[in-house]
Amino acid sequence: MPGRTRPIDKLASAAAKCSKEGAIYGKCIVADYNNVHKDKCVAEFMKLKNCYLAAYKKR
Amino acid sequence: MNTISIRAFIPPLTRRCLSLRSNRRYAVQAPGAPTFEIFSHQQKWMQKERAASDIEASRSVDHLKDEVASRLCERLMDINRHFTHVLDLGANSCNIARMLTLPSEDSPNSGPRSTRVGKITAADSSETLLYRDADLPFNTEIDIQREILPTSELLPYDANTFDAVLSNLSLHWINDLPSILAQVNNILKPDAPFIGVMMGGDSLFELRTSLQLAEQDRRGGVATHTSPLADVRDIGGLLQKAGFNLLTVDIDDIIIDFPDMFTLMKDLQASGESNAVLLREKGAIQRDVLLAAANIYKELHGNEDGSLPATFRLIYMIGWKSSPTQAKPLERGTGMFSIKDVLEQHKKDDEGGK
Repeated sequence: MPGRTRPIDKLASAAAKCSKEGAIYGKCIVADYNNVHKDKCVAEFMKLKNCYLAAYKKR
Repeated sequence: MNTISIRAFIPPLTRRCLSLRSNRRYAVQAPGAPTFEIFSHQQKWMQKERAASDIEASRSVDHLKDEVASRLCERLMDINRHFTHVLDLGANSCNIARMLTLPSEDSPNSGPRSTRVGKITAADSSETLLYRDADLPFNTEIDIQREILPTSELLPYDANTFDAVLSNLSLHWINDLPSILAQVNNILKPDAPFIGVMMGGDSLFELRTSLQLAEQDRRGGVATHTSPLADVRDIGGLLQKAGFNLLTVDIDDIIIDFPDMFTLMKDLQASGESNAVLLREKGAIQRDVLLAAANIYKELHGNEDGSLPATFRLIYMIGWKSSPTQAKPLERGTGMFSIKDVLEQHKKDDEGGK
């Protein structure tokens, strides 16, 4: 449909702008992936999410 | 003893839906083997219909199904026979019929593969997907008949109808695989092959593990986002149980690189292969989880150039309906040579060669 971006496209393009924060978060999880529990990497994730939200709003 | 009617206690609107005598009954197990419900047929049907209604997007993601259909047709061509009437079970968008109109890869000059096939019946439950390519030129090159199945778990055909049954990437949505294989065995003519391919084993394990890790971190638990799949070692037993002879099972890994996780998910959706597990979490997946999973995917499985691999493990199965004229293994103890001697001789030759 022209003139309408699917939400997943918006999400993907916003997420792509935060590759640095994403890599830090990913490394935090992968460092010990046999022992993942809730909010294991909450600090890293909040940084990623803030970056993502900023990128999402900018569009 | 009189039964006490509970009708007076039921509100008027509900009362209309109940029969006049709503007595209590014992709960009984329906006769026959209990069937496990894993996948929601209604959901799968809806996903296929929706995917096929966007024709452009649906065609653009057909590359995997086309490639697998082509490999399946090669296997059919390996059998030196003319197939008068072939059934394509779970045809999706008739990928097999389209691939049959192309020449074989082994002998590009010998004309289309369909010279060896008389009539093909393509059966699927999703009407939109089945008729998506009905006006393309390949339809005139092959005698094709499309049939809509009311449910993909019951085959409305007579016994001993088909010279071959093919199935391309749709058996992994079947709830009762033993039953469907037995039905396939029934509708085949004696000494006719069933050639099928389904997703199995470790297909999409990258996506599965990333989503699991992301949900564990974000929500502290794991929900079902990918289907449970049959494993290679299960298939032999399943085919044997359905009464097939001379089994061949082999696997093929196809790894496709995607730019990011969202593209992979969009492609799966456009080909109607989204999650349809009955016990899936209803509603959309949380954005936090998606965001986390995309980055875990990249970190855990990503290639050096930043692309993400997705593995599709395809299980090919070939089984033959039994027939008195079919070649059978000899009886025990009728062997003329000892394999042990042959193997030892072979080993000695090898050592001598070095």
